[in-house]
Amino acid sequence: MITGEQKPLQEILGIIRPYKNLLILGCGTCVKTCFAGGEDEVAVMASAVRLAYKKDGRKIDIRELTIERQCENEFIQESAGEAARSDAVLSLACGAGVQAMAKRFKDIPILPGVNTTFIGIQETEGIFTEECSGCGDCELAVFGGICPVTRCAKRLMNGPCGGSQDGKCEIDPGTDCAWAQIIDRLARLGQMDNLKKIIPPKNWNTSLSGGPRKLVREDHMI
Amino acid sequence: MAEKNSPEITIFYCINSFKQPEEPLLEGCNIKYIKMPCSSMTKDVYLLRAFEAGADAVLVLACPEENCRYAEGGKRARKRIQWVRAILDQIGMDGQKRLFIYNTAAAGEKAVKGIIKDILSGLKHIKESP
Amino acid sequence: MKDLTLSRLHQALSQKRFAVTAECGPPRGANREVIAKKLELLRDVVDAVNVTDNQTAIVRMSSIAASAQLVEAGLEPVMQMVVRDRNRIAIQSDIMGAYALGVRNILCLTGDHQKFGSQPDAANVFDIDSINLIKTVRDMRDEGKDMSGYELDVAPRMFIGAAANPFADPFEYRILRLAKKIEAGADFIQTQCIYNMDRFREWMKRAVDAGLADKVYILAGVTPLKSSGMARYMNNNVAGIDVPEDIINRLDSFPKEKQVEEGLKMCMEDISVLREMEGVSGIHIMAIEWEAIVERIVKGIRT
Repeated sequence: MITGEQKPLQEILGIIRPYKNLLILGCGTCVKTCFAGGEDEVAVMASAVRLAYKKDGRKIDIRELTIERQCENEFIQESAGEAARSDAVLSLACGAGVQAMAKRFKDIPILPGVNTTFIGIQETEGIFTEECSGCGDCELAVFGGICPVTRCAKRLMNGPCGGSQDGKCEIDPGTDCAWAQIIDRLARLGQMDNLKKIIPPKNWNTSLSGGPRKLVREDHMI
Repeated sequence: MAEKNSPEITIFYCINSFKQPEEPLLEGCNIKYIKMPCSSMTKDVYLLRAFEAGADAVLVLACPEENCRYAEGGKRARKRIQWVRAILDQIGMDGQKRLFIYNTAAAGEKAVKGIIKDILSGLKHIKESP
Repeated sequence: MKDLTLSRLHQALSQKRFAVTAECGPPRGANREVIAKKLELLRDVVDAVNVTDNQTAIVRMSSIAASAQLVEAGLEPVMQMVVRDRNRIAIQSDIMGAYALGVRNILCLTGDHQKFGSQPDAANVFDIDSINLIKTVRDMRDEGKDMSGYELDVAPRMFIGAAANPFADPFEYRILRLAKKIEAGADFIQTQCIYNMDRFREWMKRAVDAGLADKVYILAGVTPLKSSGMARYMNNNVAGIDVPEDIINRLDSFPKEKQVEEGLKMCMEDISVLREMEGVSGIHIMAIEWEAIVERIVKGIRT
């Protein structure tokens, strides 16, 4: 899933300032799971904004709506009516959702209320971790299912570096050293031979480094 | 801002921890009661809407955290209070002086009266609710 | 052993002399004079001088420029290169440029994360890791080709170094990593500074047993401690440094103004031990911003 965190309220108030008629639009998938932009979060945001405006003696008309996913036209069009009535839409979806809305509603400002962060998982209650950076050339089979591109702070193909101590990364005592984990896992799987040879430099051409990517599936184009 | 005669307090209470009194609890303030089957039902949006509706302060009454009959009610309520206090702070409404939780087994009216008096005196130091 | 490069450090090590290298940090500015002064303190004192590369991610004059200044002045630099700030294109470009300016030694490093540095907002690079950097330099030298297979008009015949940290984890894997660096093409190793002699001895023994000490020259790192405060700071704040309790206590047992001398004494004792240790070909003195003390330490060894 994609994770994100709401922007600080003061920043959001600054972003919506020029607009008198606002739709706050939530998304019922990824951002709902990480408590950033689902239906509940939309309701809280609307209430907080109204309170803030009341305190400053200013007026704003806010409507609330949450759709299943903001990255799909099928659901986006459900918001068309409300969007058309608004000066702007404050989207609590991830960056993809905000941009999908912007592509669909070209004449309405679509504003981000969430800072999208990473592709990850919910490790345990309330804790989400980054797992995949979309490099486009997955080598998880070599590394025992632990990604050094994403989870090693230095993206080493032949780690660990000299800063690994007690299984932790030098950047933060709360961050596990991915390479310590890779070595443990490969030992456990009896696959330490994977690390015997020098793993060559990564081809970054398939990642964002090669430019924004596009997937075309002609077999699904009628 | 409109002149107000008396402060408004909204009390969200778990029915296992408090019994709503028949008579007004305290002179000089308007108390609104909202009952919950468990304090775990405390939702951020309800607390904020209470302020939107004109409450100067909000009090949540919950059972002691270890004694919740549904196991986690008090703990969840406390987390929601912390979260909404932070939102109130971001708005510039002093969360520490406006939003409270009190864990009590069969709270007597006397105890709650005392808490409300403390809340009211704290409120005197900040501006009125928007 | 491999064909001699034109490196004077390589010559010293291949002649089985106990080699000594030191370190020189470039200034935080464009001031040539800082390097000029430091290099005079080290002239004729050591076999080669490491020039650091934006160490701890603090922005300083570039290692290639400062190394060139050392060459100009007649000293032998070991140009340090980290992979944090440069992609493979810039790396190969700088290796060729450094060689053209007379640099004959390169130490291939990962680099501290930019979070620790003076500009943590910067994007990092880490296009290739330090092991692939070693291999890149080796291939440029021995095959005369760049990473795309293009034939270079002149091959940079560098003496290739790598770092090793006997005090980082996982301990068992460190020897495997050392073997990988040698396989990639490392000619010499400089270790992280040693305070925990037992742990270093154990690491050295494993390296010797694995036959690695025959394949690569190992220079043991030392840094004289100026005070117990410095010892504590390094133990707690610098990644990969292990200062045992009894060392800190030994320094603590002296009044503050006497701790410097005791620290130097301990450093000299360590060097005596290292001189006799099987597999150790020399020492690397990292006297941080204290280049003046190197001559005294070296004199202590020679006697």
